[in-house]
Amino acid sequence: MSEPKRFLGEPVPAPRLAGQTILVNLLLAVFGLFFVLPMLWLVLASVDAAASQQFKLPELTLQQFALALEPDKIQALVNSLIVSLIATVVATVPSTIAAYSFSRHRIPGKQGILLGIVFLSGVPISILIIPIYQLFEWADLLSLMPTGVFLGATAIPFEIYVIKNAIDAIPVDLEEAARIEQAGMVRILLRVVGPLCLPGIMAAAIYGFINTWGNFLPPLVLVSDTAQQPSPVEIYSFMTNNVINYGAIAAYSLIYTLPIILLYVAASRLFRGGFALGGAVK
Amino acid sequence: MSDANVFLGRRLPSRGFEAASLVFMSPAGLLLFALFLAPVGYSFYLGLTNLQLIGPNSVNFHFTGLFNVQAMLRDREFYHSLWVTLLFVVGSGAIGSTAGGLALAMLIQKGHRVLGGVVGGAAMLACTLPPVTVAVMWKATTIADGIFPFLLGMPKVEVLYTYPMTVVSVANVWWLCGLSMLMFSAALRNISNEMIEAAIMERATSIQRFFRIILPSLRPTIVTSALLMCLLSFGNFTLVFLMTGGGPANATNILPLYSYMQGFTFHRLAFGAMLGNVIVLMSALLGLSFVLISSYSARRQSTLTKLGSSDE
Repeated sequence: MSEPKRFLGEPVPAPRLAGQTILVNLLLAVFGLFFVLPMLWLVLASVDAAASQQFKLPELTLQQFALALEPDKIQALVNSLIVSLIATVVATVPSTIAAYSFSRHRIPGKQGILLGIVFLSGVPISILIIPIYQLFEWADLLSLMPTGVFLGATAIPFEIYVIKNAIDAIPVDLEEAARIEQAGMVRILLRVVGPLCLPGIMAAAIYGFINTWGNFLPPLVLVSDTAQQPSPVEIYSFMTNNVINYGAIAAYSLIYTLPIILLYVAASRLFRGGFALGGAVK
Repeated sequence: MSDANVFLGRRLPSRGFEAASLVFMSPAGLLLFALFLAPVGYSFYLGLTNLQLIGPNSVNFHFTGLFNVQAMLRDREFYHSLWVTLLFVVGSGAIGSTAGGLALAMLIQKGHRVLGGVVGGAAMLACTLPPVTVAVMWKATTIADGIFPFLLGMPKVEVLYTYPMTVVSVANVWWLCGLSMLMFSAALRNISNEMIEAAIMERATSIQRFFRIILPSLRPTIVTSALLMCLLSFGNFTLVFLMTGGGPANATNILPLYSYMQGFTFHRLAFGAMLGNVIVLMSALLGLSFVLISSYSARRQSTLTKLGSSDE
């Protein structure tokens, strides 16, 4: 009588066992430790005056950050910024116009070309190192800027893919409306398509930047002047010292990593906001 | 599909199409050709020469036919490197990262909301980190006195150098898992609740539900994730190079590393290029299967939805 009545068709709740719940959460916690411990070490070591590979409570200090911000280390960060910005521009501008063409024009063999592009975006860059080295050596281009152009070119396939998807999401009706209003091609691109797919373009640009910022082998091989080396190579030389100062490496790695995390957050916001276009045609 | 294209083509003005698309494509096309496609072709040529990094053969190198191919096939380290690459790419990439991502996604779905959010966030954070940073963290936490040897009950053991392949594989899984988790979380959300509830009403155990309903529904995601993780592991030169440098005793000498070593440490650029060509072929095979399988499953999906809608 007091038992609550169950309506027909209402799902029976899954038999939840206390033991199972505990086990699930315990496993989850183990996974969590696995992911958090290395990161926690990095943060703790960066503020520890007696930092080592050990995991311990730090003797709080900022001296590791002072070591990590010596002039040559800052120069490496600036070099990273230069090479990444060059690559971002070199990748994003051509990718945007090519993506527009892919999205809107009738191109013979389009599906095949697009498949090829998707495929290229998965090819590991390390295979290009020897031929590009030989090419740059021959043309006397073994320095930072050409490396940026090269890394930009390697980001193009994925960027075309991302931007094309963003443009595909814009209704053609908007462009037609603009065309009926006698707007020219350039005007349509800059005033109608551009602003609408800006989130997609920005996300692709962020990819281009992050891709270059994280790349280690290309600058190591393709930049002959050590004063032009970007941060990843600086961290590598930190790690190959005879006496490794883990505190300074940790502090420098944190400074080097933080912009990337922020850019990822920005990119994920863009993606979430990018698909709210549907209302424009109603 | 083709109907839609014709439709679009009719609505847009057709004048100057060809010329316009050529102009639009050319900057990206030229860059890709000059710095991506042509170098791959050039690398195939270089692999068949006697090019050296320094010395007389660095300038005056010439075609030597299949000499490097024969040298490679006689090279025992090449076979060892191939094996290690397979272990790394398939073991930690295809299997490790995919299984880890699936386990994580399911635990987060079932576990406490806050704990799941924190763990999922940490996994996502891990896969945003640059490879150099990951290498620093994993080297410091797995050498003697690091936190992982301590947790494993052998604080004085150089775990990184005692089990090098295992450690770089685990580090690779740590880095890639978050991405795979993201794919599986989305796929798990798409499994219809009615199906699960029906199974519960039929008193199916959770193990039966996993193997009969969840795993079959996730099959496309598992394949996509496995192939993507393979490709990403293949590109993960930096992690292994910084953690072990291919050692100790070549234990982690994956093919990209071996190619770099031959080219820039032993100055045999042509032989390095030859090894690079093997990587090109392997990743082409992987990429091709990726493209084929994804387009196949997309076609199957669309047929299924068409069938479904015609039923209604």
